[in-house]
Amino acid sequence: MSTTTAALEPVFTFLSYSYASLESSFFKIPGSHVVARYVRSSHQNDPGRTVLEIMLFIFAVRTLLQSRTRADHSGKHFIKFEEKEIDDLVDEWTPEPLAVDLSPKEKADLVSVPVIVGATGPKPKLTTGKTVLNLASYNFTGLAGNETINQKAIEVLKKYGLGSCGPPGFYGTQDVHIQLEKDIADFLGTEASIIYSQAFSTISSVIPAFSKRGDVIVADRGVNFAIQKGLQVSRSNIRWYDHNDLHSLEQVLESVEKERRKKGLPLTRRFIVTEGIFDCDGVMSDLPKLVELKLKYKYRLVLDESISFGSVGRTGRGLTELYNVPASQVDMLIGSVATGLAATGGFCAGSDIVVNHQRINGTSFVYSAAMPGLMAVAASEGINILRNTPSILSTLQENVRSIRAILDKVDCIHIPSHAASATIHLQIRLPSPALLAPNMIPPSPALSSSGRHSNPLSVIPRDPPQYDYDLEERLLQDIVEEALTQGVMLTRAKTLRGQELADVRPSIRIAVTSALSRKDCEKAAGVVKAAFVKIVGKRR
Amino acid sequence: MPSPNARGFSSPIAINPSSPTASLFSRKKSSTAMSTAASYLSAVSQADARARKLTDTDSTTSTPALSLSSSVTSSSGETVLDESPLDNRDGLTYPKVPPTSEQVFGTVHTEFGHCGNEDHRFTAGFKPGDQWKPVIEQEPPHYILLSTYVSYLLLIVIGHLRDFIGKRLRPSEYKHLMKQDGYMALNSDFDSFYTRRLKLRIDDCFAYPTTGVPGRTILLIDRSSPDYNRTYVPVGTRTRALNISSYNYLGFAQGTGGCADAVEEGIHRYGVATCGARLEGASLDLHTQAEALIARFIGMEDALVSSMGFATNSTIIPALVSKGCLVISDELNHASIRFGVRLSGANVRMFKHNDMGALEQLLREVISQGQPKTHRPWKKILVIVEGLYSMEGTLVNLPAIVELKKKYKFYLFVDEAHSIGALGPNGRGVCDYFNMDPRSIDILMGTFTKSFGAAGGYISANKNIIDRLRTSGHSGAYAEAMSPPVLIQVMASMASIMGISIQQHDKAAAQSQQVIAYPGPTPSTALPPWMPLVPTMIDGSDGKMRLRRLAFNARYLNRALRRLGFITFSHDDSPVVPLLVFNPGKMAVFSRLMRTRATPIVVVVVAYPATPLITSRVRFCLSAAHTKEDVDTLLQACDEVGDLLDLKQGTGERWPLQEIMSRAVEIVNELP
Ligand SMILES: Cc1ncc(COP(=O)(O)O)c(C=O)c1O
Repeated sequence: MSTTTAALEPVFTFLSYSYASLESSFFKIPGSHVVARYVRSSHQNDPGRTVLEIMLFIFAVRTLLQSRTRADHSGKHFIKFEEKEIDDLVDEWTPEPLAVDLSPKEKADLVSVPVIVGATGPKPKLTTGKTVLNLASYNFTGLAGNETINQKAIEVLKKYGLGSCGPPGFYGTQDVHIQLEKDIADFLGTEASIIYSQAFSTISSVIPAFSKRGDVIVADRGVNFAIQKGLQVSRSNIRWYDHNDLHSLEQVLESVEKERRKKGLPLTRRFIVTEGIFDCDGVMSDLPKLVELKLKYKYRLVLDESISFGSVGRTGRGLTELYNVPASQVDMLIGSVATGLAATGGFCAGSDIVVNHQRINGTSFVYSAAMPGLMAVAASEGINILRNTPSILSTLQENVRSIRAILDKVDCIHIPSHAASATIHLQIRLPSPALLAPNMIPPSPALSSSGRHSNPLSVIPRDPPQYDYDLEERLLQDIVEEALTQGVMLTRAKTLRGQELADVRPSIRIAVTSALSRKDCEKAAGVVKAAFVKIVGKRR
Repeated sequence: MPSPNARGFSSPIAINPSSPTASLFSRKKSSTAMSTAASYLSAVSQADARARKLTDTDSTTSTPALSLSSSVTSSSGETVLDESPLDNRDGLTYPKVPPTSEQVFGTVHTEFGHCGNEDHRFTAGFKPGDQWKPVIEQEPPHYILLSTYVSYLLLIVIGHLRDFIGKRLRPSEYKHLMKQDGYMALNSDFDSFYTRRLKLRIDDCFAYPTTGVPGRTILLIDRSSPDYNRTYVPVGTRTRALNISSYNYLGFAQGTGGCADAVEEGIHRYGVATCGARLEGASLDLHTQAEALIARFIGMEDALVSSMGFATNSTIIPALVSKGCLVISDELNHASIRFGVRLSGANVRMFKHNDMGALEQLLREVISQGQPKTHRPWKKILVIVEGLYSMEGTLVNLPAIVELKKKYKFYLFVDEAHSIGALGPNGRGVCDYFNMDPRSIDILMGTFTKSFGAAGGYISANKNIIDRLRTSGHSGAYAEAMSPPVLIQVMASMASIMGISIQQHDKAAAQSQQVIAYPGPTPSTALPPWMPLVPTMIDGSDGKMRLRRLAFNARYLNRALRRLGFITFSHDDSPVVPLLVFNPGKMAVFSRLMRTRATPIVVVVVAYPATPLITSRVRFCLSAAHTKEDVDTLLQACDEVGDLLDLKQGTGERWPLQEIMSRAVEIVNELP
């Protein structure tokens, strides 16, 4: 230390010189004498400290003075106007309406949303008076309406009231929240977990908590809307790989590393962001391969298991259980308490470091009230039930199989979803050449390695599938309504066309539940099949 | 810096002998006698069941001083409700003055305080002709500012010093902050400096685990830290504390009473889950009913609920504005608003907090300049403000903004997260407070986590806007729908505030429904027919009592604190009361001293980055559940601690505490 100080001595002398010249004006500020005395005495002890302190002080002052509301008058695009001219401009300006009225189609869509009377479940009653078989709601494990859970919830209600009335940092953390976090971590086998009060708002806070401007994220082209929003907020450098194509992923990882070496860029944080079972089409990630790649290229893996948690694996732990990969291999494992455990909220499981970082930096964790205590207990109880009743998941898988057995064979249905996925996406397969069933199968490795890759900077793949969005959407909606008249509640996978980064091919999204008997499942699948044949078959 | 003295550096800690981190003694004790967090927690649920049968007189509430000296064997933890009947050492469990035989209180005193004194009521709000008066921001003396800067400087210097030495002496502790085996640190030492070196010192004031109802009092799960706030272990005791922290403005955080009964019945009928998004098969009749009731409550055409208050902003704003639009946002707007604006892709400009002159200046500039570079006119301009600012306690100058709106043709979005329910003679928020037509504002947003003791949020506006948001907002397609117990709590508490006019389900009644004007009672037909209704809910007396008690408490505390000489920024009628402490060190001591009093009080302390660097503060959130005696208790504590910490820096007339307490009613009713 002392040698460097000695070497820098001239610099310090110069600095204290200029400091002295500022002194006279400085002493006009009230209280300045105290500061001056302090600085002077410390300067005698250690000149290096003076510089450090002055720098810190300037930094502090700058932070303080840097007004967030400062106007930008200096820009070269600023035009100076007279007050009168401004008044005229204000008078002239007519804003667009705040909201565009719904189109007739949007109106019809909104009206057609079925409304359940009373509790939801495998056979809910609708406002039309009809009792239907429910293939629309996410109730994979049939926990909705579970009597034990309801009883527990009522007990908690009496002890805790309903709301937590505060964010987790300010007395909103209750023992039941800590318990649920621990239960989830134990269930998955991670060090810790953190719960957010809404599933959708979980990953869009998790990603920007870690990945900042300048960091690199390699993401699947098919990631769900919440992830897209997280990527957007993070402002990181995003690279895309073809949907569920790990060859494409490897190429992108390779190219990112090459680019970094070539430009001599410093090491940044790097993440692979993808889903376990995709929300858009039900395909499943090859987790072991993903883990292999992330270890090889030294990325961190952010895995959204919102659909797979609670629907695959022997007891519903999701992909890690299915593939027998330790959950600790996934750096940030995000899941939905709302769909997986039939309560509300979402979670992120990972190491202590990952979790604790979010307690301060997860925006929607820090700035939002903790979830109601009874919901946390309902979720804990859900985990308990899943742990102790593996038959729930085996029933679910049987139901998936019996529905697939019927629908896989239908000509006019294309199912991209994985055979074990409890969400089954039904797309329309039209035979006419112009609208030929698109190439939804990922391009074969041979093809992509021949040098004709998609551009990693664009979310649009090289050969986007061709289809008639409006036509398919209309047909699918007709099918949904046809099935409803036959007593089966279906739903199209609703997406926000225009707000999504790329169009998602329209589909009907079936969510299989273990709460329906095999016979009911077959019956429902039969109705779906008939509806498809009736509506699409007409066009053949 | 391994030495235990490192923490002792800031002298405040020494003042507080029972601070869990203060002594080696407690450290040793906790690591040996204590069970792990894990086993403790798993024991809690069993203990709950066991303790309900227990008639044991062992006290579960105790002051931390006791909890340190007493053995830690009771770590199984008894339940919230089972306190020994005679234990009232903390003065919180039973009213100081026993009720007379005429008074019947239907609430649990620890949840919702018993107060039969009709003088301790007030109704606040603008009458026609009232003028807006800004809160005068008092400046602290220079030495306070200076010492605040010096404190931060010292903290920063020492922090860097400790990092410098620590990295050399104990590199393993810094490993996760450094690049290692080809991975960049998740959180570099620079990024986390503030958290590690400043916040960690006072981390015992944050994220305190609690249990039970966050009502008038709250049960803290006592904890101690063996490693300077890096981790905590429960010590096995609980402390009941006066709760001036929860957003429980109207006191609806209750485990008993009309709302809880309604929710219980609702869980029997609906369960707890909705299983998906509104547009994907998770719409319940309850959603429709709740939204109609909310629209009626707010006085707008239609409303839309969302299962998280934060998400209400972050997922709805992008559906309102997009590229080519401008958002003008108050500089102190909540994180959820900023998040939503960032997602929307719209341009953002900020104006100085509540400064209408600055807002008008900015409006003139942006309308005349148009979009950056191209100078094309903006598609639309959306001004986003909050009704009641949660860190400042300031009210938006709504009359002035609405005037500006007429001239500058912008759209107005008011976030009423804290003001809905808490303000206005009828509890309908800032519009009600200012006696204005809610429909003069385009979008009114609010949350249910605060006044209603529930969760989630709403947006209310014209029908065409709401329909657009149902279709294009992110929540409808992707986010889980609001769950039944929450919806029922919202409806029951709202009906309780509104009062209910009993009506029959027939044609004639349908006609007369139209007649009930805002802000009148709700027709009973707007509620689920099975909902149990308590008489005090029907005649609206329960809601009125809550509103009037809150208004009294708010005005009393605000005015009393100023008379005691404290600096606060809040509006007289604001239930959120920040008390400025400036020095970061004082903030932590304040919190610790309050928590360890004979009658423990929990308060929220906030500092940079949630507030500007120098204005560290303590924030009180009042509730209708507090009695005047509770506010007195708080005032007494503030008075003592304020003297100790030299916090009474305000100018203006000062009264002694005794006089303030005895002339409370007069103070509240005094004209401003
Ligand atoms: C102004 C404002 N908006 C929105 C929110 C978010 O509400 P919630 O806690 O219900 O998510 C808050 C909560 O602190 C708030 O203060």
